Amino acid sequence: MKAPTEENFRRLSPLTPVARSGIVLIAVVGATWREIMSGEPGIVALILVGVLAAGAVYGFASWVRTKYWIEGDELRIDTGVVMRQSRRIRIDRLQGIDIVQPFLARLLGLAELKMDVASGNTDGSLAFMPVAEANDLKELLLARRDAVAAPAVETDPETGEPAPTAPPRPVVPDVLLHKLDLRTLLVSLVLSFEFFSLISASAAFVAVASLGGPAGALTGFVPVVLGLALVGFRKLSGFYRFTVSDTAAGLQVRRGLFELTSQTIALHRVQGVVITEPLLWRGQGWARLDVSVAGAQVGDSGSEVVSTTVVPVAPLGEVLRMSRHVLRQLDPAVVPISGIPDRAMWVEPLGQHFAFAGLDDHLVISRSGLFARRTHVVPHRRVQSVRVRQGPLMRRLRLADVHVDSPPGPVHVRMRLRDEQDARRLFERAVVLGRQARTSAR
Amino acid sequence: MDELFAPPGTPWQRVSPRLVSQRRLILVVLWVLMTGALVGASIAVMQRTLALWIVVVSLVGLAWCLRLVGRSARSWRYAERDDDLYIAHGILFRAMVAVPYGRMQFVDVQSGPIDRMFGIATVRLHTAAPGTSAVIPGLPADEAARLRDKLTMLGEAQAAGL
Repeated sequence: MKAPTEENFRRLSPLTPVARSGIVLIAVVGATWREIMSGEPGIVALILVGVLAAGAVYGFASWVRTKYWIEGDELRIDTGVVMRQSRRIRIDRLQGIDIVQPFLARLLGLAELKMDVASGNTDGSLAFMPVAEANDLKELLLARRDAVAAPAVETDPETGEPAPTAPPRPVVPDVLLHKLDLRTLLVSLVLSFEFFSLISASAAFVAVASLGGPAGALTGFVPVVLGLALVGFRKLSGFYRFTVSDTAAGLQVRRGLFELTSQTIALHRVQGVVITEPLLWRGQGWARLDVSVAGAQVGDSGSEVVSTTVVPVAPLGEVLRMSRHVLRQLDPAVVPISGIPDRAMWVEPLGQHFAFAGLDDHLVISRSGLFARRTHVVPHRRVQSVRVRQGPLMRRLRLADVHVDSPPGPVHVRMRLRDEQDARRLFERAVVLGRQARTSAR
Repeated sequence: MDELFAPPGTPWQRVSPRLVSQRRLILVVLWVLMTGALVGASIAVMQRTLALWIVVVSLVGLAWCLRLVGRSARSWRYAERDDDLYIAHGILFRAMVAVPYGRMQFVDVQSGPIDRMFGIATVRLHTAAPGTSAVIPGLPADEAARLRDKLTMLGEAQAAGL
């Protein structure tokens, strides 16, 4: 693909307004079809069609005004009908480029190019263009970015000829780390709380209907059943063909049945992981891995933390392997963890079975949950602050809680009901290890 | 104090005793409003003896609460170390937090109208975690300003990326 320049700027696909607002179009047409066909359009139909026409005009104007090209070392995107806006994205700062296809766009053969820029809030996106063009543009931008990073050709001072340069950096292919097969996904959906609720609701429905119950009760079941089915369906379509690969920009997660999405996780921004083992999956030995990642916007106003599911369902061994990868080779399985003292049963009667916690030189771990066993793991270099708390009952029992604070997200390490002296030692050790990890990571 | 909340090497610095007076003042004002409302209600329904009992019982309650508030306010303490700040408080529900300077994103000093009457202020630290409730109330105003400046400077100097 030839790089677009100011003279040869490129436009997005003219079908963009359709892809963006396709649903609205269909809804309006559907609502007014009968009236239009019968030849006697009512006021409402006229208004709706008028709105649609205005939208189409605006969409066309917006399309005409949207141009992009490469200027120097920046990708420049000009948009805007009334308020002109020119966005510039530095190519050498591009962290990752994802190609995303929402449902309607996919039907039309279009895709969106999402650009992730390091340290800044100029995240850009170009929506929509034909898939092939999107891929070509992605290759072009990434090649430019890598070319900028490579050293320039030097001339040998004696002979005046170009000095032999180092061989070009090899392009590292993406490595597939994990794939979710359809059978596992379907079985995991069956072995879920929503499915059991669905079955019981349907069974209740059948029972009430066969016993001749009032019609009102029957209609009450319908939204419940539909709601549960919808949840299951969303999970299915969301995690269909789920793959995790290792790319130059980080870990890339691709998934989707109708809507193909991809997310890139920069490993150095991972705040912690949670390994969840729901009760219904224990028979199969399956678990789920969720990762808490700080967003690209680092600034005084804090950070946006995103929770991503890196492994929706897999055997525990596989989940542990992936968690080691996400934590950059730190292993949660080797951290020594301990349970709670016997006297803690006055506060937490069944605690011996599920409350564990511990730390080693690299990680802090806490495990809790009777039904869904959750293991929270945070590396010391990601710890924000450490707290110890003790209520009056716990003081009588000489127990205390030690909390390790992380940015908001699914991960929170709470070392509960430790013996008092252990609690203070854990607290101090966490503080020291946190400091060491922060200074050495620089 | 027990071992669990013992000072970390550096001894604890206490907050101003004026915090006790401030907290007690707020308690008394609220008590007057509440008791006044109850007494007014019982007089309105012609229950004089009930009103009297209310006053007696709530006076006892007030005395107990005043003592509790005093102890709780005096329990606020902090220690500035080389790399982090420790803050501890509480009599019944005790807590202690260690916040590394490098993790401090902002430091605020707040002073409401009643705080200003007593010349005290509250220093509040924010990290990226909302759970870090690192607050030091009842600092004399100039000490609060000094602490804020020092923490801001150290926070920038030791800032660790997220």
